[in-house]
Formats: sequence, structure tokens, C-alpha cells
Amino acid sequence: MIFHLFRKDLLLFLKDKKSIVLTFLLPIILISLFAYAFGGLGAKSSVSPLDLIVVDQDRTPLAKELIRALDSNANVQVIPMHLPAARASILRGKNTAALILPKGWSQALETGDTLPPEIIYDQARKAEVSMLMPTLTGIYFSTISRITIPKSITLFLDKNYPNLPADIKNSIIQTPIIPPSSPQEKSNQFKMTSVVGVAHSSHLGLIQAIAGTAIMMLLFSVAALGTSLLEEEEKGTMNRLLMAPFSSTLILYSKMLFTFFIAVIQLIIMFVFAWLAVGLDVPSHLVSTFLMIVVTALAISSFGIFLAAVSSTRQQAQSLSTLIILIMSAVGGSMIPLFIMPPIMKKIAICSVNYWGIQGFYDIFWRNLSLWDILPRMSVLLIIGISMTTLSIFLFTRRMSRRR
Amino acid sequence: MNPLPPSIILQAQTLHKSFDSIHAVNGVSLSIKRGEIYGLLGPNGAGKSTMLHLISTLLQPDKGKIIIENLSPTKAPAAIKMLMGVVPQEIALYEDLSARENLAFWGGLYRVQPDLLRQQIDKTLELVGLKERQNDPLRTYSGGMKRRINIAAALLHNPKILLMDEPTVGVDPQSRNHVFEVIEQLQRQGMTILYTTHYMEEAERLCERIGIMDNGRIIAEGTVEELKSQFAIENILSLQLNAKQEYVVSLLNDLGIGCKYITEKKSLQIPTRDIRHTLCQILPILSKQEIAISRIDTQTADLEHVFLQLTGKRLRDQ
Repeated sequence: MIFHLFRKDLLLFLKDKKSIVLTFLLPIILISLFAYAFGGLGAKSSVSPLDLIVVDQDRTPLAKELIRALDSNANVQVIPMHLPAARASILRGKNTAALILPKGWSQALETGDTLPPEIIYDQARKAEVSMLMPTLTGIYFSTISRITIPKSITLFLDKNYPNLPADIKNSIIQTPIIPPSSPQEKSNQFKMTSVVGVAHSSHLGLIQAIAGTAIMMLLFSVAALGTSLLEEEEKGTMNRLLMAPFSSTLILYSKMLFTFFIAVIQLIIMFVFAWLAVGLDVPSHLVSTFLMIVVTALAISSFGIFLAAVSSTRQQAQSLSTLIILIMSAVGGSMIPLFIMPPIMKKIAICSVNYWGIQGFYDIFWRNLSLWDILPRMSVLLIIGISMTTLSIFLFTRRMSRRR
Repeated sequence: MNPLPPSIILQAQTLHKSFDSIHAVNGVSLSIKRGEIYGLLGPNGAGKSTMLHLISTLLQPDKGKIIIENLSPTKAPAAIKMLMGVVPQEIALYEDLSARENLAFWGGLYRVQPDLLRQQIDKTLELVGLKERQNDPLRTYSGGMKRRINIAAALLHNPKILLMDEPTVGVDPQSRNHVFEVIEQLQRQGMTILYTTHYMEEAERLCERIGIMDNGRIIAEGTVEELKSQFAIENILSLQLNAKQEYVVSLLNDLGIGCKYITEKKSLQIPTRDIRHTLCQILPILSKQEIAISRIDTQTADLEHVFLQLTGKRLRDQ
């Protein structure tokens, strides 16, 4: 009897091709994603270079040589820029850090004066900066020490010991100089300035946790609401609704509206909680936060409705939603902060709603950007919401007309 | 579009509907008179529900047309939907809502004004006998009670035609009786009802006219009596006698009363339109011959026999 029952279940499963694909494809996709996110697939994969903006205000041969040395390193990709553009790029989260070589830098090195290069960076991307620093300091010190240290010693000896015999002077100059070795010591040679999140540094992890978790949880709840459309079909209430005197697309609109409403409420509750319980500065960004909540809720609700429109059974919708939510959350930064991911993953991240939502909340609470500056991200979420809703309506209408 | 005669509320003209290679409805025509209960009787898969879905506009016919109150569903679907109430075969209600909440929702879809809707809900709850349970969640109701609310949900906008798709499936005899009473009361109020069923007892009890469906076609149509006489369906009178059966058979046959002896049942079977008349004819003859009757059985002809005769199969799987 057990075999008989087992055989029935197996037959039903084998008849559902979509479920088969989802059941077996989901683990493979997830394993691939996480493996790539945490270190690349396969041992032979190369490390992608970290981007570094270089602002050359010194414009001397030494500065140019340093930039060339940095650019020729496989771990660094140099992006030349002027200071205002570099600052704006880091503020908007486009780049991680900028190395500023101030005017008079090389001369100061030769004269032994103090004019350290400055590194401006986004504190939210400290991990990336930490990965960058060993390469940067290594190249920096090997470049400047090869050129400037013998000159400095000669100048020092000529100034303080003018009568020193030439052979002794030469042996002193040729003695290898050991540059600072510890990372801390090396970093101290740079002026480190965080240009993002200075005022709210205690909220960095908090914003990541709130935005990332809120969006992922919202995706799950919205997926469940979306499948209620399929539940209506299974229970027969859909047919009864279709026999009522209104257009079938109204059914989808009403579900969309309900899902959107619940999503907005859910996000509002989460951010009010974050404000009251952990001090996230929501009142200072009330309008931006509310608008970001609205567009995020719209984009995510449209995802729920899209799921219902493409699935023919609840089981299918559930499997599909699990697959999509896990992928979007993994690549979009809900599960793993984006800054620790390889560059290719960051590029893929823009395909997920999570990315745009999380970055939007980062813009508000971390980067302190104005509403005007956040509008592009909001527009992307709005476009995602509108296009997915339109596509869902098309698919739903087609399905309804096929039924007739 | 030619207007329908005033007595006809609904007309279907040579309707066709196929699903892939299956002809669910294959050239069905029917007319339903104002105020009558018209039954579509047939086994599962005969095409009854598809017919109902075509009329309710849930499905579109591949060929043929439907006219309801001189309106076409393709041209005025919303107006047609307002004229009809549909009781689906499934209990298409929300289990977590109370009966009153369910009715308020479904009535609201037909744009019934709130005050009127409240009155209508009270009226229909009383009609189906569930006013006392109106605030209980539907999941606490028995199957029969849910069926009654399923009917009530189709009545809130006072439809002219009620389409009922096997409304008593899975219902206990007591609740079924209650459903019948509701239907009869609705008819007394002047409502036209199209009723599909595979229970011939229901069709016989409720329907003034019946269309017998099989394989997507209406194979016979008329009142119960018309159908029985149309297909020469007779009752069977069975007698067990304490005499030589061959002798009695020849005796009755000589007198013009057709009969035969069924060995397996050990009884004499006499087909007759009127059992009482035949008994009055036979009893004096047998008495005169001093033949005693040990057992009398009668088997009344019904629509099951009509269906059996028409299709060679039974209405329900045995």
C-alpha cells in the first residue's frame, strides 16, 4: 500500500514539469551564488580589481609614476578624477575610495615636510577599503622610497654633516631603508577621511539590517499574498468573481492594491520600530523615507502579483517565489552586504529589487542625500513596479481569455 | 437579433464548445420559459456545467449564440450578469468570513445599495433558514448549511434567472430537502431557474421541463410525463405465484396482457402504464383460477429508465 501511495505522489510530481525544474534547479543556483559571493567559483578564478579614484593635484613626475604603478597592479583599477567628482561619486556610493595627492606632495616628500596623501572613503564600505589598503600602501611606499628616500638622506647629510667623507655618505645612502611594515603604521602615513555617514556612524549596521531584512521579509509576505489569487482559482471563488458584473482585470488590480497596502503598512511598521527601538533617525527624513517605502512597496507588490500571474498552481508559485526571493536577497544585499561581494556580483545586484531598495535607504539614512538625489533610485523602483504590474496584467488577461 | 417571444426569457441557439479535442457542448439549443424551473439532467461529463458556464458568460461559445432578455452576452455582458444569479457547484465562499460577511461581499459586487443589501441579506438568510448562525464563521457550518449560503449569495441582487449547478452535491437528505424547499419558494416568487443535476429524483421533483444531456447534446426534452410517454416507458408489475408459471403466462397472454417469466427472479413480470388498472384486470382472473399470489412488487418507471433507454447506460455510475 505504501508503494502504491508513493507511486501516486511520484506520478503527480513528474507531471508538474515546472516543479521538477524548481526542485532541482534551486539548490544548484543557490550553491553557485553563495560560492561565487564568498570567493569565486573554482580555484582558477582571478580576483577582480578594486576601483580606486585618484585625484592628482600634485601633477609631478613622482605623482604620475605612482599612478602608473597603481594602475599596472592587477588588484587595483585606477579611475582619474577631479576632487568634486570624486567626492560626489563616493557620496553616491558609486566608488569606494579616492586617493588625493595634494599639491606640493612630492616636494614635501623631498624636503621631509609633512603633507600626507589623503584617502576619502565611504565608511559603509570599510571592508573594501581594508582590502584595498595593503596593495595601495605597498605600491605607495615602494614608489616613494625608491625615489625620495635617497634624496632625503643626501639632503639631510649635506645639511647636518657637510664634512662627512664621501665613501661613508654613500654607504649610508645605499643602506636599505625599511619602510613601515605594519598595516597600522602604513595607514598612518595617509590621512583617512570618511566622507559618508560621518554623522550617523552608529547606524551603519542598523541600516543594513533594517533595510535588508525588511525587504526580504516583505518579499516573502507579498509572495504569500500574491498566491491568494491562485487560491481563489482552486477554491472556485475565482469563477464566481468572474461571473460578477465587472472586468476580470479588476480582480488583479484589487489584489495588487491590497498587496501594496499591506506592503506599505509592513514597511512603515518596520521603520517606526527601528526609530523607536533602535533610534534610526526617521523623523529627519520623513518625506524621503515615506516615498522610498511607497516605491519599494510598489515594486515588491508587483513581484507578488507577477508570481501569481505566471504560476498555474499554488505549489508552483510557492516554489518559484522561494527561488526568486532567495536569489534576489542573496545578490541584492539582503543576506550578504554588497560591499563584500566581487564586482561581477555587484553588477548582477542591480537586477534585484532588494538592491534598489537597500541602496535607497542607504542614500537616505547613511549618505544623507537630498530627496532630489534619491529620485533616480526611486524612479527605478517605480519603473520596476509599473512594468511588472503591466506584464502581470497582460499575462493574467491572456490566461483568463484562454480559459474562456 | 430577432426578439424573443415574451414568454421566453433565455434562448440558446446551436451552442458549441470544445476543449482541445473534446466537444463538451455539441450543438445544443434550448429555450427557457419565464418563471419555470428547467432541468438539465445527465451523467457527469455530459456537458451540463459547460452549458451553465456558457450561459453565465464564464465561457464563450465557439459557435452559436445565447439571448437572455433580448440581450446578447457578447454585446452586453455586464447587463446580462446583473440579470443572473449563479450558484456554482463548488462552495465558492470564504470559509473564514461569517455568512453575513460573505453575503455582504458577494452582494456588494452587484452594486446593491448598502441599505437594500442589508435587507436582502436578512431576507435571504431567513429564506435559507440560517439567520441565527449568520455571524458564525463559515468553516463552522455543516456541508448542507454552506450549500444554502452558496445559494443565498446568488440571490442578493434579485436576479431574474438563477443558474444552479448541481447545488445538492454531497448534501445529506435533510439539507437537500431544505434546498428543494428554498428552490420551490423562489419559483413561487416568479424566479426562472436553470437547474443542472445528475439526480433524476431532483429533476422529477423540481423541474417542469427537463433536457436530458449526454455527450454534449440534448438527446430528449420535455416534461417528465412527456418524456416517459415519448419513449414508451412502462412500469413493471411483478408477481410471485403458487402455480405453474407457464400456464399463467399463456393464460394472461391469451387475454391480451403481455407478460413474461423471469427465472432468476422467480417472478412474473407485467409491463404496464397503469399498475392499478392492470391489477384490477388480473386479480379476478387469477382468483377464478384459484391461483394464489405470494408476493406483489411494483417498479415505477422514471427518468433513469428514459435515460437507460436513450443511451444504454445509467445516469450515475453504479
